[in-house]
Amino acid sequence: MLIGCKGEQRINVVGYQSGTEIKMRKKHDESRKDRGISLLVSIILVFLFLAIVVFSVSHKISREMAASATQNLNESLDLIKCTIEAILNKEAEYQRLMAQGIAEMEEPEEYIRKYKRSGTMMKIGLIRSGETEGVCSTGEVFTEEELDFSAGGTIDGLPVSQSYLNYMGTWAYCIKCPVVKDGREIAMLYIEYIYDSFDKSLPEGFYNKKAMLYIMDAETERFVLKPKGMGERSAGHLNLSDFYRANDIQEENLREDVDACLAENKNIMFYHDIRNKDSLNYMWSVNNGTLYLIGYVPIDAIQQEGRSVNQNILIVVAVMLIAFFLCCLIYYLNQRQQIKLRKEREEEREISNRRLAEALQAAQIASNSKTMFLSNMSHDIRTPMNAVLGFTTLLARDAENPDKVREYTKKIMASGQHLLSLINDILDVSKIESGKVVLNVEEFTLNDLVSSVDAIIRPMAAAREQKFYLEVAGIKHESLMGDETRINQILINLLSNAVKYTQTGGSIWLRIIGLKQRSNQFEHLRIEVQDNGYGMTPEYLETIFDAFTRAENSTTNKVQGTGLGMAITKNIIELMGGTIEVTSEVNKGSLFRVDLEFRIPEGQADKLFWEEKGISRILVADGDAGVCENMQALMENVEVEADPAQSLEEVLSLLKACEQAQKGYDVLLLGSNLPETDTLQAVKRIREEAGDALLILILAEHEEAGLENILQTENTGILMKPFFASAFKEKIREMRAEPTQTGEADGKDKNNLEGLYFLAAEDNEINAEILREILLFENARCEIVENGQIAVERFAESKEGEFDAILMDVQMPVMNGYDATRAIRALEREDARTIPIIAMTANAFAEDEREALHAGMNVHLAKPVDIDMLKKVIREYTKRE
Amino acid sequence: MCFFRRVDIKKAGMLCIVGMAALAMTACRTDNNLIVVENEEKRIVELFSPMEKSEAYVENTARSAADKTVMLAEEKLDVSVGYVTYTAEDYQDKTYDDVTLDRARNDMDDIYLLNPDTLRVLGEEGKLKDLSGLDCVKNLREVVIAANMVDGKLVGIPQEVVAYGLFINKDMFDQYGLALPETPDDFLECCRVFKENGIETPVGANRWWLETFVLAQAYADLYNGGNTEAEIAALNSGESKYSDYMRPGFEFLQEMIDKGYVDAEKALVSEAIEGEGAEFLARKTPIVMAYWGAANTDTAYGSPDFEMQVIGFPSSRGQMPVIPMTGFGVGINAEHGEDALAVLDVMLSDEALQIYAETNRVISPSKNVEVECVPALKPLHDKIHNNVYVLGSNAGMEVEQWGNTCLIVRELLGGASVDECMAQFDRLQEEALEKQR
Repeated sequence: MLIGCKGEQRINVVGYQSGTEIKMRKKHDESRKDRGISLLVSIILVFLFLAIVVFSVSHKISREMAASATQNLNESLDLIKCTIEAILNKEAEYQRLMAQGIAEMEEPEEYIRKYKRSGTMMKIGLIRSGETEGVCSTGEVFTEEELDFSAGGTIDGLPVSQSYLNYMGTWAYCIKCPVVKDGREIAMLYIEYIYDSFDKSLPEGFYNKKAMLYIMDAETERFVLKPKGMGERSAGHLNLSDFYRANDIQEENLREDVDACLAENKNIMFYHDIRNKDSLNYMWSVNNGTLYLIGYVPIDAIQQEGRSVNQNILIVVAVMLIAFFLCCLIYYLNQRQQIKLRKEREEEREISNRRLAEALQAAQIASNSKTMFLSNMSHDIRTPMNAVLGFTTLLARDAENPDKVREYTKKIMASGQHLLSLINDILDVSKIESGKVVLNVEEFTLNDLVSSVDAIIRPMAAAREQKFYLEVAGIKHESLMGDETRINQILINLLSNAVKYTQTGGSIWLRIIGLKQRSNQFEHLRIEVQDNGYGMTPEYLETIFDAFTRAENSTTNKVQGTGLGMAITKNIIELMGGTIEVTSEVNKGSLFRVDLEFRIPEGQADKLFWEEKGISRILVADGDAGVCENMQALMENVEVEADPAQSLEEVLSLLKACEQAQKGYDVLLLGSNLPETDTLQAVKRIREEAGDALLILILAEHEEAGLENILQTENTGILMKPFFASAFKEKIREMRAEPTQTGEADGKDKNNLEGLYFLAAEDNEINAEILREILLFENARCEIVENGQIAVERFAESKEGEFDAILMDVQMPVMNGYDATRAIRALEREDARTIPIIAMTANAFAEDEREALHAGMNVHLAKPVDIDMLKKVIREYTKRE
Repeated sequence: MCFFRRVDIKKAGMLCIVGMAALAMTACRTDNNLIVVENEEKRIVELFSPMEKSEAYVENTARSAADKTVMLAEEKLDVSVGYVTYTAEDYQDKTYDDVTLDRARNDMDDIYLLNPDTLRVLGEEGKLKDLSGLDCVKNLREVVIAANMVDGKLVGIPQEVVAYGLFINKDMFDQYGLALPETPDDFLECCRVFKENGIETPVGANRWWLETFVLAQAYADLYNGGNTEAEIAALNSGESKYSDYMRPGFEFLQEMIDKGYVDAEKALVSEAIEGEGAEFLARKTPIVMAYWGAANTDTAYGSPDFEMQVIGFPSSRGQMPVIPMTGFGVGINAEHGEDALAVLDVMLSDEALQIYAETNRVISPSKNVEVECVPALKPLHDKIHNNVYVLGSNAGMEVEQWGNTCLIVRELLGGASVDECMAQFDRLQEEALEKQR
């Protein structure tokens, strides 16, 4: 009770846990989903933040680098400016020194004339104060007329002229310096310098020669020098206006601003596209605005470093992102793998739990079934055992009363038979469950099968006042290959159940229906067993084929049985490759439907028989058209033509027609169910029409009575339904007075064992005693030995022909029956190989029989020994000898 | 199945690791603290050439073509070619030819792009190197070599055979039912019709190229009559007078000026194309004169919105192209003389001239280079192809033609009479004869 409570409690707890677990799992899943979304949002936010930071940093770097690049450009331009200014100042300074030197000279004109031009100073001239013409280093008269000092530009305080194209075809400027002697200006020294001289002092291009630079004379706005290596070849080169036009700097505001800056001697920079490239333009004042550095540099060129830094940042970010995504991917794959494994484990656990639960349930059911089975068996075995023991007690008491003794022994025998059937069933189940059943496939005929089943079931049904109907339809071949015993067992099981579970006065049907063949080599049969008995509940139907179950209710609990029959049946059917299904309704009855396929044996049609008997054409008449068709089909196989008729009139007209055609029927198969026709009267009328020569066979139902009179008519017989060609053949043979192959008219006399002497090896004293008594009863003798070893020895010692046969138990101490048989067969005496050895053993399986025959025994008889069978076998083998 | 195959993931992982390792190694690489900067002695060649006033976003095909050959030379010889340019701001400025003479005489540059007259002057002055030793010379057409030989030296080689012609607005000719003029009379008749139909100045002109009319009429027979050498010899010996050859052309120009077919005052102060180009493209002037390449360049007449044709100048022998030989020369005292010759050899090689001709669609001086010309140039091309042309300059003539004729035409434009102009030619011929003596 306490355990039961605990169990219940535990189950409840498990149940509670299961529910909670599901809820928790759902919650867990939801929270995991929520967590996933929030994780995703977090990642996106982090990436967004990262992107903003990277963008800001990149932008900041770009800005700073741009500022830095601008500063660099500024410095570069300043450097160039300073270089040019330094050159100009040095030139002015040198000119002053030269003027001082000239002041000290007595004949300065001579010095001037002899001056050879240098790379910087192209020519020098001197005009004495108060004069307009002077001397020149190039030899001609020097005047100031062609020089324009009006702009007022100075270098280091010395006036400088506007730029002009000199005699060398290059741009030049002139500085004039007074020659002072004794504080008095005595002359003016003019020196012409060329802009080309700057070129050697300026850098060989800048910003990788992508920057453009000109030197512009501010007053005339003429470009007087483009330093070599400075900038691209396509550009305005002539003057500022050409520069604007060539580079499409046409915005009025911008140009006004630039002009204003130039006028105010300012350095300026401005962004403007130059030939579709974003560029920074610059105008840099040199020497207080007398000259300007003009040009531009593409933004790409000045921000090269910044772009490179940004590219590197992007590479780093990209690598980090790739690494991050790789990590995420690895993590994701790992998680997925983990989840997959977890799921698999959970699934396995669930499957395992389910199997365990099922196994537990099955075990419980099995336990219950077995408990119930044991209970049933206890009841079922005790009942006949009680009868055996009870009647044995009564037998001892009434031993003097022969009537009582006979009655008691009869009842003991019945109880014993029942016990035996119980044991057989149990053994069958055991065998099937252990896979030891082997089908013994041999040729059999449906006629024999149906006859034997009919012989068993019909009396059982009759005892319960039940009607038993047998129907055969659509069969093409009645001789088939199969295990007849097992098929018999199936039918007996199903039919005996039908008898058992059908109330008194009910009906039972056995139908054997030929289905459409799936192959020419196999007959496809459907066997239906139907009753209108108690029926079964749907719940019971689910377990009907399980072992150890038996339908029990108030109506049927008085029915005896092992509860193993249906399990055995289903297993055998499945072993044969067939199927079984059942439909049932309580109080309406049940229908079992078995589908089986049997191989058709080769050359089965016994055409020769019919030819020999001169039967080639028959008339089949039956009220049921299906029966006629069935008969036609079966007779077709033996090439006997069968014409159908379904009324007496039709029969008579066909007979008449045949007579006229002089092609008569050899046999008339006349059903007893022709419409509105009395069979006896019908036979008479047919005889009148066809004469006595026609062989007439009445197809009758078993229950039919009053047909015996027909047999008095010549050439008339009765053939029981259902129709089988083999039964028809037997009947023909019988009526033509041929002895049957299996005729046993005087078998009983031949089985007499009188005078025979047996050697029996039996270790069980009771069994030995029974055997001895039975044989004594039959006027035979036997010598009992305890084991195989002694049996061998005894036989070896015996005289030849002393024993008529050896009855050999199998399981014995010292030496078993198989070994003993082998030893006997191995003896070197004439009768060792010929003496019949009959196995009498409780090892009743087919393989036991095979083993026995293999060991050298002649025949195998299972215990308990059927005395008639024993007599028959002994007689057969001893007679043969 | 699996989202990624395991093997792929492994490969990707390995690649990433290798990539990161490479980056790390690059980042961690330590350089020597000592930075040594090599003094790179770049070979420089200076090229003096004119450069037209450029327009924004306009590709100058002719200059692009020349640039390509320069780049080819730079690439092949590992030299740097420095451009020195000059363009007169206006007519008051020194001309490009003046500046060229000054620069060449003072050895300012290495290579000069020279007009025929400067080429001849500098050649005679011995200021140019003999280029006949260059490999490219063997590919040149005979006429090119002959036109640039001064005192037995090949002093200049051009990248294109510059042919001058009349650029005419065919639509306007068709509009007034005018046939393309063959002779001077035809031409004057066309001008008359245009003038009568309200075209104020039928011929657009500048201070440079009106001489082509004169030269075409002067030497049509000399170059196409089959007695060229003898006639030139007669001129050089003084047996024939240049003025006799020149007079018809000058009288023709005088008539054009007198009848207002040419605006002499405007022409005298106009630079090439600047003065007349805009009106020609605007369909106000149906006739201008220009060089072959102008039909290809967007800066000049490369894409008019009317049907343009380029024909020869009117002469007694029909339409006559005028071919003055320009060319590159190398200063005799060029600072980088050897490199300059090497650069020129590459720039004038068949490979370079092929590039040049394909880019600019001109007649190549190389007999090995032929390219298809634009449709507008077809009439001019056919004439030249049939050896019908007049040389605008010829080093074989003792009196320089291209520059002198240009200057004397300017005098005509300035008001001088035809006789005064002819007197100038006589003077020049006398000076030449004196020089010979």
